[in-house]
Amino acid sequence: MLAAGCGSNQSITSPVTDPAREIDTLWWAMFAAGMVIFAVVLGLLVLAFVRRRRDDERPETERRAYAVILGGGMVAPVVLLAVLFAFVIRVMPAVSAPKPGSTDLTVEVIGHQWYWEVRYPGTDAVTANEIHLPAHTPVRIVARTADVIHSFWVPRLNRKIDMIPGRSNSIELDVPRTGIYRGQCSEFCGLGHAQMAFEVIVQPPGAFRSWLDHEEQPAATPASGTAAAGQQEFAAASCGDCHAIRGTSAAGHIGPDLTHIGSRNTLAALTIPNTPGDLMQWISNPQGWKPGSRMPGFASLPLSARRALVAYLESLR
Amino acid sequence: MAVESPAPAAAERIGRLDRIWAERPGLSGWITTTDHKRIALLYLATSLAFFAAGGTEALVMRTQLAQPNEHVVGPATYDQLMTMHGVTMIFFFVIPLSIGAFGNYLVPLMIGSRDMAFPRMNALSFWLYLGSGLLVYSSLALGMAPDAGWFNYVPLASRRFSPGLGIDFYALGLILNGVSSTAAAANFLVTIAKLRAPGMSLNRMPLFCYAILATSFSLIFALPPLTADLVFLELDRKLGFKFFDVAHGGDPVLWQHLFWIFGHPEVYIIVLPAFGIATSIIPTFTRRTMVAFPLVAVAELLVAFIGFGVWVHHMFATGLPQMTMVFFAAASLIIVIPSGIQIFAWCMTMVTGRPEFKTPLLFIVGFIVFFVFGGLSGITLAAVPFDQQVTDTYYVVAHFHYVIWGAAVFPLLGGLYYWFPKVTGRMYHERLGQATFWLVFAGTNLTFFPMHIAGMLGMPRRVWTYPSGLDWSAENLVSTIGAFLLTAGLLGMLANLVMSAYTGAPAGPNPFGGATLEWATTSPPPPYNFAVIPRVTSAYASWDDDDRADDRRRLESGELVLETGHETTASTPVDGHLDDVLHMPSESPWPFVLGIAATLGTAFVLTDHYLIAAATAALAAAVLVLWHAGEPAAA
Amino acid sequence: MITAPVPRARPNGWYGMLALVATESALFASLLATYAYLRFHDPHWPPPGIDPPSITAPLVLALVLVAASAPMALAARTARQRTAGPLIAPVALALVVQAAYLAFQIHLYADDLGRFSASGSAYGSIYFTLLAVHHAHVGIGVLLDCWLIARLRGGLTGYRRTAVGAIALYWYFVSLAGLAVTATILTPAW
Repeated sequence: MLAAGCGSNQSITSPVTDPAREIDTLWWAMFAAGMVIFAVVLGLLVLAFVRRRRDDERPETERRAYAVILGGGMVAPVVLLAVLFAFVIRVMPAVSAPKPGSTDLTVEVIGHQWYWEVRYPGTDAVTANEIHLPAHTPVRIVARTADVIHSFWVPRLNRKIDMIPGRSNSIELDVPRTGIYRGQCSEFCGLGHAQMAFEVIVQPPGAFRSWLDHEEQPAATPASGTAAAGQQEFAAASCGDCHAIRGTSAAGHIGPDLTHIGSRNTLAALTIPNTPGDLMQWISNPQGWKPGSRMPGFASLPLSARRALVAYLESLR
Repeated sequence: MAVESPAPAAAERIGRLDRIWAERPGLSGWITTTDHKRIALLYLATSLAFFAAGGTEALVMRTQLAQPNEHVVGPATYDQLMTMHGVTMIFFFVIPLSIGAFGNYLVPLMIGSRDMAFPRMNALSFWLYLGSGLLVYSSLALGMAPDAGWFNYVPLASRRFSPGLGIDFYALGLILNGVSSTAAAANFLVTIAKLRAPGMSLNRMPLFCYAILATSFSLIFALPPLTADLVFLELDRKLGFKFFDVAHGGDPVLWQHLFWIFGHPEVYIIVLPAFGIATSIIPTFTRRTMVAFPLVAVAELLVAFIGFGVWVHHMFATGLPQMTMVFFAAASLIIVIPSGIQIFAWCMTMVTGRPEFKTPLLFIVGFIVFFVFGGLSGITLAAVPFDQQVTDTYYVVAHFHYVIWGAAVFPLLGGLYYWFPKVTGRMYHERLGQATFWLVFAGTNLTFFPMHIAGMLGMPRRVWTYPSGLDWSAENLVSTIGAFLLTAGLLGMLANLVMSAYTGAPAGPNPFGGATLEWATTSPPPPYNFAVIPRVTSAYASWDDDDRADDRRRLESGELVLETGHETTASTPVDGHLDDVLHMPSESPWPFVLGIAATLGTAFVLTDHYLIAAATAALAAAVLVLWHAGEPAAA
Repeated sequence: MITAPVPRARPNGWYGMLALVATESALFASLLATYAYLRFHDPHWPPPGIDPPSITAPLVLALVLVAASAPMALAARTARQRTAGPLIAPVALALVVQAAYLAFQIHLYADDLGRFSASGSAYGSIYFTLLAVHHAHVGIGVLLDCWLIARLRGGLTGYRRTAVGAIALYWYFVSLAGLAVTATILTPAW
């Protein structure tokens, strides 16, 4: 169901950027060394099994055993760990937090129970659950939280950073390939933790620029009669208490900004695709799709009202 | 052994000891007992019951995760199960089983003593443990179990985001549990320091006792940070204090620091007794002494010590300064060395001995495999950038289950087989034992190995469901199948032990040719453990035929039989010279009563009945006075 | 039968108290570390509107509490060396000083509570928690003194000798911890 929406997986071993690739290299190096060590210990156990019935009494084995213990338990680890430590020190700068102002573009990501608010400082653009980025451009992601601890993580692009009250953490994303990369909250944050994913949509810089220009605009006035009726319903059902639609009186800040909801790929932080049918189901019974969601169900609204709402929201492109 | 066909003088002395050390029969005997062996059996039964509960929780979770978009349980239930599973397995299963059951049963026997240093406090430890377990589990019965995960991060666990009583059950239950563990640890420290049989200098003490010594030190220093953390949390939740509130100068990261200053030593607290069991079983079944005994003893203590300096590696994604992370990465790597020494010492003891792969040794081999594997994946988590990728994914879940299940619990399972003849006087079924080992071993790998892959494919931990299309489905299905296979193996093991307890062949005092002193007495041991306080002149006391012959002679002559009272010997802490004869307290109802009072008091705090809680505390103080009203004849 | 001479090692009860003191030290270390952590986390310490603590009274009190360990040490020495000497009198003297200390401290505590609250800021939270934990330890020590005196009035036994030594050890720890707590809460006033 979601595969269509995200188009890429979350595998650590399919890195796209340099930092993710460096971590991947570190992993395979550790994996290889680890397998050798594992094989050595297994070899000793097999040796013990093979020799279990021998008769010889060899007193000199005690000294040899000491040598193996000190060699295998002390000398070899010291050497290997020193190499690993040097490797770690070398990789750490590649994934460290960028300094403020070190990139031309900064994106603020704010974790909420349970969705991602995305802001582009210096512009009015606010969106949710998808982060549009230009390709080939270093971008500083600043991660904060509006409530509990979340963690920002796009495995194929870089390491994760926690979003902790009172702090902000940052990371640099410089993605060389256009595409859609899936990310997911990776610090347990309550009922909706499993359904708190997002997409990083990397576009050619020109396309990104025009997307951002469009995203800055307030919502379009409804063109069709149904959509205009939907706007009335939106106000009547007090949707604006929780959601903001820039250019209207709706200015709530509990749920995602809906100014351009119609242009987004998914609903409810990648829980379901964004089609009119799915949106209808979502509005009617959000708890059925995402238990624990802060969104109340509106099944009690007449079907026509819900249809109008859907038409209005889908028109917000 | 002389105990079986005693000469007239010896028989008379033994009869006298039997009368002196007899406890009440029936249920009231179990409630008032101060016999470390019976307390150990209480711990065993209770911890296994909690194990069944924690295992059931795991199976429900695995069923929910067997396929993507499953709806066996919803997130509200799943989060409670997940939290209870972690809390149960760590606080109510592994530690009570390893320290409470194995430590309690074996330490006094291994050091040639007749009981723990503080027998009544020992009973109190158990009743507090039971009380804390029942308190926390009552929340599940009431449908308000804690649901913020076992490390319970704030602000998710704050009153604002977790308004129910669930978190209060967690915090107050664990404070009570911590008191129990602290008392147990103090008891072991004094027991090991003072009650070793004459001649058992520190360098002759069994390595299992070193492991319990190291564990007890760790508990003594690791639990207070947790207690402080839990007290802060309750003050924030119940009285509106601001320890973790950013808006008023607090900091949620403070919770994490204090929790992991406890939490990482806790890992070694869980694993060290397993090391001790491994170093008990290996010499027996390889017919030789441990290679590098002093190195292993020092390594056990070092692991416990360095374990206090690595906690920040649980927090590499929180945005700490680079230098801090480098320091803690280095410390986390250094702890590999004492672990490596032990692994190679176990392996080389087997290589240079003549191992007989009976069930207990098989479990130790399984333990070595899992410990090396889990240790290696642990090293990768000290590599800061890699940790920052995989922390809070299933890779970590896989890692710590290899360590805590594979490395810590496998020796406990092997130990259950190994000491089963000692405790019951009967042999288990060997072939069935080996079959259950292979089932459990295969089930463990099948359950936990695929989790590494799921984690590498980006699956976060603590998710109640996951979508299809991310390549996580096959791994999860295999894990679920493995979990049921593992359960089947464990049930087979239970069946073997329960049946053998009634139908097994008589075991005799030392069926495996074990080296430590518990094998020098009858199976099961009498309430006074040894008819005569054993003489010790080596580290492998039960292989020392001269000393055991000397014991028989002294039983005849009455030397150190201590048949005039409820007594045992005390020795000097380092050299183990005979120093004193101690009159030991006998059965008492007060530990049980105090345990109830403490549990009730905690429950009253939990429900905000502070005045009643204060009254209960006063009652507890009165119980303490009564407890100490009688004095031993000599001290 | 072995006739045990005076044992060379300390009694189990003393070792048990040592273990308790060790774990309590870790508890106080956690609390003091929390104070330091919160302090360096917050640029305003104490926060605006709360005066730094006054120095004199807490400092004098802390020294008085340390001094009260002297008679306890005397009693412990008498008990351990099995020499003839007063036991009840020094314990009673210590008790009077310690109880007075506790009363004065509770008075100061109530005073502080009138000035600022524990739930108003992290500073207030750790300040009042730290002091309350310390006072609870003094309170328990006072109860132990009372129990000990009641016991000693019935004559001296080996059991009671052990109790004197263990309770004295407890007091050394509580008074040193009190000194550390006082030094810590007074840091904003330096």
